Formats: sequence, C-alpha cells, structure tokens
Amino acid sequence: MSSLAMALRLTPYLARSNDSSLRETGLRDAGLPVLAFGTVTALLLTVAGGSQVFWSWSDDIAGTYQALAVVAMVLLIIPLLTLGASAARLAARRRDDRLASLRLLGADSATVVWMTVIESTVLAAVGALAGAGLYACAAPFLGLIQFRGQAIAGHAWLSVPSILGCILAVCVLAAASAALGLRKVVVTPLGVRTRQTADGVHWVRGLIAALVVVVGVVTMGMLSSFGAFVVIVAVMGGCFGLALLALNLMGPWILRLRASSQLKRAKRPEQLLAARTVLESPKESWRQVGGVAMTSFVGVFVGVGMAVADTMGGSAGDETALLVRDINTGVMITLLGSFLMVACSAGVNQAAAVLDRASMLVALDRVGMPRKLMVASRVKAVMSPLFLVAGISAAAASALVLPLTGMVLLTRPVVFLTIGGVFAAGFLLVRLAVAAGTAQIGQVLARPERYASMDS
Amino acid sequence: MNAILHAQQLTKHYPGSIALDHVDFTANAGESIAIIGPSGSGKTTLLHCLAGILRPDAGSITLSTQSAPLRLDTLGDAALSRLRREEFGFVFQQGMLLPELTAVENVALALMLNGTDRATSESRAAEWLGALGLAGMEQRRLGELSGGQVQRVAIARAQVTGARVVFADEPTGALDSATSTEVLDVLLRSVAANGRTLLVVTHDPNVAARCQRVVELRDGRIVADSAGPVSPAVPGTPATSFKGAFNV
Repeated sequence: MSSLAMALRLTPYLARSNDSSLRETGLRDAGLPVLAFGTVTALLLTVAGGSQVFWSWSDDIAGTYQALAVVAMVLLIIPLLTLGASAARLAARRRDDRLASLRLLGADSATVVWMTVIESTVLAAVGALAGAGLYACAAPFLGLIQFRGQAIAGHAWLSVPSILGCILAVCVLAAASAALGLRKVVVTPLGVRTRQTADGVHWVRGLIAALVVVVGVVTMGMLSSFGAFVVIVAVMGGCFGLALLALNLMGPWILRLRASSQLKRAKRPEQLLAARTVLESPKESWRQVGGVAMTSFVGVFVGVGMAVADTMGGSAGDETALLVRDINTGVMITLLGSFLMVACSAGVNQAAAVLDRASMLVALDRVGMPRKLMVASRVKAVMSPLFLVAGISAAAASALVLPLTGMVLLTRPVVFLTIGGVFAAGFLLVRLAVAAGTAQIGQVLARPERYASMDS
Repeated sequence: MNAILHAQQLTKHYPGSIALDHVDFTANAGESIAIIGPSGSGKTTLLHCLAGILRPDAGSITLSTQSAPLRLDTLGDAALSRLRREEFGFVFQQGMLLPELTAVENVALALMLNGTDRATSESRAAEWLGALGLAGMEQRRLGELSGGQVQRVAIARAQVTGARVVFADEPTGALDSATSTEVLDVLLRSVAANGRTLLVVTHDPNVAARCQRVVELRDGRIVADSAGPVSPAVPGTPATSFKGAFNV
C-alpha cells in the first residue's frame, strides 16, 4: 500500500476516534486552525475585492491608482502569508504528538507527512469556506467605501472563480506549510516530544537582511532616475516588499540576541521564563509579533504618505484632491487589515500555546506558581519582542523613506502624531489579543482534570 | 511522633461516585507513607486534598506549623497556592518540569518563586543537583536528560525550598525497573536525610515496600494502615551524605 493510500485510510480513522474530545474541546482540536484559516481567507478576499475596482478603470489616472493598489497589496500579502503559515503550522502542531507516536509505531515518514497535509488541508478548506462566508457578509459594507468620489458598490464583489481561486490558494498554502512544519517529526520521531535542542537561528539571516535593506535604500535614493511615475511607484512597491522580507529574515535572529541578553540579566521568575520562552523558538516568537513589525513598517509609510498627500492636496485641482483623499482611505484600509491580521495572529498563537501546554500549566499551578506569574511571563514573552521589532522595523522604514520625504517629515507634526497613534493602537491591539489568548490559562486551571496527566 | 498533617472525616464526591468517604488520616513528621489501592480507590484524590490542590466537600485538614495549626480547608486559593509553594514539594509521574529551562533553572525557579534572588537560587539548586548525582548536568535542557535524571531534577525541585512535606504521585511510574529503583532510592534517602515527610501514591508494591507506612484505600475508604515492610538499605550513597549539602 502506498504512503498516500495509507494516509488516506488512517486520517479519517484518527479523526473519527477523536470525535468525543473534539466535541469537548472543540476550540483546541479544530476551532483555532479553522478560525485562523477563516480569518486569512476573509482578509484575502476583502483585500482582493477592495482593490479590484482600480483595475476596472482605464483613464489617465487609473495607472496611479493601480500602482498604489500594488503597493498596498504587497504590504498586506506578506503578513497575510505569515498568518496563513502560522495557521497551517498550528493545524499541524496540534497533531505533533499523535504523528510522532505513529512514527514510533512504524509508520513511514511519507505517510506521516501525507496525513498532516491532508488534515491541514481539510481544516484550511473548512476555514476558507467560513472565511468566504464572512467576506460575503462584509462585502455590502465594503461596497460603501468611496474612491474617486463614488462608492465602489458592486466592485467589492469578487467573481465566483476568483473566490474559489482564493480558497484554493489558502488550501495550497496550508498544505505546503504543514509539510514544511513537520520536518522535525519526520526526521526524528522523538524530537517533537523531547525537544532536545532549541531552534537555531543563524547570524547569516541578519547579514542577508542587512544587505537587502542596503539595496533598498540605494534603490530608493535613485528613484528620481527611473523616470515615469508608474515605474517609480512600482520600484517603491518592490522595495517595500524587499524590506518586509528582510524583516522576516532578520527578526528571529534579533529576537534571539535580545532574549540571550535578557536571560543573563533576568532576576525575577517571569523574566527568566519569558527569555527562555523566546530562546526556545525565536522563529515562533517572531511569528507572533512579526505582524506588528509589518504594521509598524506600514505605519511609518502611512505617516509619510499622509504628509506627502497633504502637501500635494494644498496646491492641486479636484482630481488631485480626490487622489489625496483616496490615498488616505487606502492607507486606513491597509492599516485596518494589517492590524486585524496582527491581532488574529497574536490571539491564535497565544491561545494555541496555552492549550498546547495545558498539562504543564496545571502542574505548575499545583506546585504553587501564581497564575498571574504564568500570565505575566507569557505577556512579557510577546510584548518584549514586540517593542523591539516594532522599533527596528520603524527604523528600517524610516531609512527607506527618509531620502524621499525627509523635509516633509520634519515640517509636518501630524506625521509624528499619526505614527505614534499607529504604534499605540498596534501595541494595544496585540496586548488585548494576548490577554484574550492567555485567558485560556484561567479556563485550563478551572478544569485541571481535563488536562492533568497525573490523575490516577 | 509529631503529627504534621492531620485529616478528619474527609469526604469528596465526583459526579456519580464518592472518591473519599469520611477518611481520617495523620502523617507524622519524618514519615514516608505509601498510599496504595486499585484505580479509582481515591488515593490521588486523598493526596490532592492533603496537598491543598483539591477542596474536600466535608471534613478538615490541619497542617502543624511553628505558630498556630493551619486549616487548609478554610484557606483561599492564593493562600493555598502560597502554602504549596513554601511548605510542600511535588514529584509527578512525568516530572512536569519546564522543557525550555535548564535543569538548574528548573530547580532554582522554585526558590525564585519564594523571593530568593537568582544567584542564590541557582547556587542552591546546583548543590541539590550535585547531591542527587547530576553534577555537571546543571546546564542541560530536560530533553538532554534521561527519564531517571529528569525525575532527579523533579526531586531536587520538590525539596530545594525546604518543603516539610513532599507529595509524590507515581514518581517512578514512567521508568524502567532499574531506573525506578535508583530514583526511589534517591527520593527516600534525600527525604529521610532532611527530616521531610513523604506521601507517595503508587501502584508499585516495590515502592510501597520501601516506605515506613502503607495506607491502603478502597472505594474511598482506608482499609489498611500498617507499618511497611521497609527493605534493607540499598547499597549506594548513605542517607547521611544527602544531609549537610542542603542548608535550606
């Protein structure tokens, strides 16, 4: 029997055997991955629906709108993919133990990989369908948004093939991420259980990221030599995308450096636990806060963009004034989407992390660890990296836009207010999402018998 | 002997069953007591009630202290949590240590939770680990230790704070017989050397045979309470060698 055939037989069997626990702990077993995939799909469809109106225009200024839409899409798609990958890994991770046990029982690695891919894809499909339903509910409200003085109305609706394409894309993303995320189990069946080594994060990541930033800065400095406005905007979009990729490369490495330093200086238990949590898996920590790094990055551009738009609006005609207003609208939509993704990512990751370690939390409660300390260490493990990456990404964004808009930045206080507001809102949103996620600790400790592994 | 933990008429119900049925129980200072019985007999429930993890539906639990006796069944969650941190130590079947921390950090954490500074905590934790045969392994993560070594770390964590009562729930349940003997030996000797009281829930007759007293439960009632057939000392480190290293 082939590995795929074996996986196809085993997967529904294991899913069926888990039915009772699914009913009891629905959120833990399937709810979280489905919620995450649903959110990803809804946001993806909303972004695609909101921007398709630009491609229906064909007049002179349409190119400008289309170029700006590309920039917005670049800014949103990468965090969207990050959230999608997080959701897929979450779907795979909840099965880690079971799959590792299967490996111990003799299932070959290909069977385990196929089972993971099948399960994640099924969950992604369920979530994606739910997300499409959410999009359908939101589309009428999305249609009220105005561009060029008119509501986009029916343009907010994507065609059925487009919606199906998005759902398919989410499923493919889930399948690919699940297969990649389970490499450790495939290689060493006991590795997942024993977690013998902490995640390694090589310094080369930092070097590559630094090079990418340098290339971006140099390119942005040469913007005026590119001639046509559309080309300039396209190059800007490319540079933004490169910078976001650089952040993703550099993020885990920087978090590890910072956590190592914090570990040495830790005096209180929550400081020790938070630093060790980050060091356990800098990549995981990055996945939790990476979205806000992106938002901070966007936030700097928002501030500068508004300042530029404000300057242009002061001396231009109606069409330009509309463009300025539309840029503001687009910026706000971009920010909203970005914040939503960040909140989803942080909340989903925290809730999953708490549920993953439920039996450990019960044991810690039994040995007398105060609940507030458990919460404090988790909050610190998220917020400390968050402040760090937000600062660094803001600095990276500033480096990119400073040559272009340095003067505007200095003469428009609203820029600083906007950036400050964006950051404060982002931090607050993540803090709330973390609070929602860590609320699971209370639920776990309220029913310890469900999670404790020591009862007899 | 001095009673350190005294329970009277302990009763605990679960939906559809009675886990403890008017149980009277006394643990004396320095005793090692095995609590045995078939599955569902109420032994873990008794352990959890005595440790302040579960609240009994009726009855009282009193802990002797240097000042006034303390009624566990009347304390709030925060006070019970503090009590478990300061007066009690726990050894679970799977260790239940934090995998992201090193061995020494896991032990030191128990002291840090009580307000001891990190340097002192880690120093004392290292002493305990050394005394329990883990010298040189302080900086290893749990994934780099064997099952028996992880349980030794758990034993160190349970006692590093100076806990007067150590509760162990199937501490050797996940170990092979040879390792089980070693871990049990370490647990009994370290507890005895420091004058601690040990309450151990077990299915293993070999574990019960090593304790001074054996309490048997059946259907939520104590059906036997007798002196255990304590085995002669196992060759190895003498019990007294555990003492002195642990000035807690």
